[in-house]
Amino acid sequence: MDLRHRNNVNVMGNGTSTLVFSHGFGCNQAMWNDLVPAFLKHFRVVLYDLVGAGLSDLSAFDKTRYATLDGYARDLNEIIDAYAEGPVILVGHSVSAMIGTLADRLAPGRIAAHVMIGPSPRYIDDEGYIGGFKRSDIDELLDTLDSNYLGWSSAMAPVIMGAPEQPALSDALTDSFCRTEPEIAKHFARVTFTSDNRQDVIGLATPVLILQSSDDLIAPVAVGEYLHRVLPNSTYCLVDNVGHCPHMSAPQACAAAMHGFLARWTATRAG
Amino acid sequence: MPADVFDSAACALAVTGEDGTILKANARFGDWLGFSTAELCARRFQDLLTMGGRIFHQTHLAPMLRMHGSITEVKLDILHRDGHKVTVLLNGNKRVQADTVVYDLALFGTTDRDKYERELLNARNLAEALLQEKTATELALQNAQAELNAAYAISQRRAVFAEQMMAIVSHDLKNPLTAIRMASDFLSRSERTAKERQLLGHIGQSSERAQRMIADLLDFTQARVGHGIVIKAAPLDLHHVIQRAVEELRVAFPKATLLHCAEGSGQACLDADRVQQIIGNLVANSVAYGDLQEPITITSHLGDNAGAVSVHNHGAPIPQALLEGLFEPMTRGTDQGSDVRSVGLGLYIVRELAKVHGGDVAVNSCAAAGTTFTVTFQNT
Repeated sequence: MDLRHRNNVNVMGNGTSTLVFSHGFGCNQAMWNDLVPAFLKHFRVVLYDLVGAGLSDLSAFDKTRYATLDGYARDLNEIIDAYAEGPVILVGHSVSAMIGTLADRLAPGRIAAHVMIGPSPRYIDDEGYIGGFKRSDIDELLDTLDSNYLGWSSAMAPVIMGAPEQPALSDALTDSFCRTEPEIAKHFARVTFTSDNRQDVIGLATPVLILQSSDDLIAPVAVGEYLHRVLPNSTYCLVDNVGHCPHMSAPQACAAAMHGFLARWTATRAG
Repeated sequence: MPADVFDSAACALAVTGEDGTILKANARFGDWLGFSTAELCARRFQDLLTMGGRIFHQTHLAPMLRMHGSITEVKLDILHRDGHKVTVLLNGNKRVQADTVVYDLALFGTTDRDKYERELLNARNLAEALLQEKTATELALQNAQAELNAAYAISQRRAVFAEQMMAIVSHDLKNPLTAIRMASDFLSRSERTAKERQLLGHIGQSSERAQRMIADLLDFTQARVGHGIVIKAAPLDLHHVIQRAVEELRVAFPKATLLHCAEGSGQACLDADRVQQIIGNLVANSVAYGDLQEPITITSHLGDNAGAVSVHNHGAPIPQALLEGLFEPMTRGTDQGSDVRSVGLGLYIVRELAKVHGGDVAVNSCAAAGTTFTVTFQNT
């Protein structure tokens, strides 16, 4: 199995510990562009695309393997085994925070710490739990994905126009940003938004930094607080930000919080 | 842009801050959604969307606008003040204005186009469902075909086994039958009472019949599983061979009247024993199914290049339905199973024998003319 090809793995930076960045639903590893530079000096950095997203190998997508988040978690562990050196800290956005949790449960001790950005263990409300969504909201999302099918279907979807004012970003990865094969997008949306990983996060002893946006529709503050309660070794950090992608809209604040949390792994590096 | 042009533009226009807060909206935007522009300016653009649209905005549109600086032709449902959905196409552009980022949005109504696209989408989903159904059916068909092939292979093996078994049994029965015939011949040479003579006659006739059946079975198995029936052809006087065969058959079938009719003259190169066997089988057939009040006519015919022998009898014709498969093994010309002389191999063997002689057999059967079997031979 060629992981580099399957998951479009990119390795950069220098350090005795490894940061693995795992993007969330909808986009690809290009979403880390504004955050990653802050860590290249002190860490080995591994970036990858989830199978079905970005420049991953679409032929590797298999509805059975990826019927639940476990399939993605197994992929993540394979990538860690192949590319990580030293202690591994997983930086997971949104659904990838749960993929990281599952990977941790599958191979306990392999992941030294988690940075969870906008995490949610369950999106749909349940008895005694507020996820923020109703089942019908998720159906509406699938419908919206369907509605934009015509626009997204062709190889070079017209949804994305060039970015003439940002020539540095106009490479293949940013071109494919947020553009996913429609069937895969719908499948991943269903898997993501109907998942319930509360039993997996409750009691997870690995150190966790929760980066919670102050105003996030997808992962509301109540969900971040819930995670802080059930994760015994967690640090909760509220970032003043509107939206679900603080690492894009508030990268400095995110980097500052992460540097504090990650100090124990940077301190050990050889002088 | 002058304010009146902005307000009366043929599409809804808005400028939002980085977090989506509407900074400026034209009158058309307000008209479409039932809000005043002042009311719109207190809201965030994403809060106007349906919940599904908001998730899409957060996971796709906002990151894309930030990274690419533009989006085009994204279809979204916006909620009117009274709750109904307004379907729009959205274009957006990122712009830096005095060190702050703003987004210019343009929205176009797309209700009719949306309906049409939904029809296309439904048609596509239907086509995909049908395709899946077709694939499933094809798979089921393939499986059924595979099962059928497996069953066929098994039945083939069983058939070959049964035929080989038949060959072995027929061959092994020959010796005891020969012993029985020789013993009864030996006994009939001595002085016997009338009753003993009658019983010996029965033994002789029955064992002769059994021998003929076994000969048929052996020929059949040879034709089917062996290397085919072997003949030893030699020049012969066909009329004479047939004449002698008819004389022997008269002894075997005393109740029937057998007539021999010789036509033409010339040479024939055939296996005499096999020709005799052909006539024997056909006459036995006529005796079994024909009207014995009328004579059975055996004709031997010699022409320039070809020869033929035929056997004719009167009586009920062979039913049309049976004619087609008449020369296949295990076929009988009638359902009267009682006194037939074989297991239904006679005509099959006649045809096989005709073929190894380079000829064929044909039948003609009707109520008026009776039934005629004709075997043709090549003379060379």
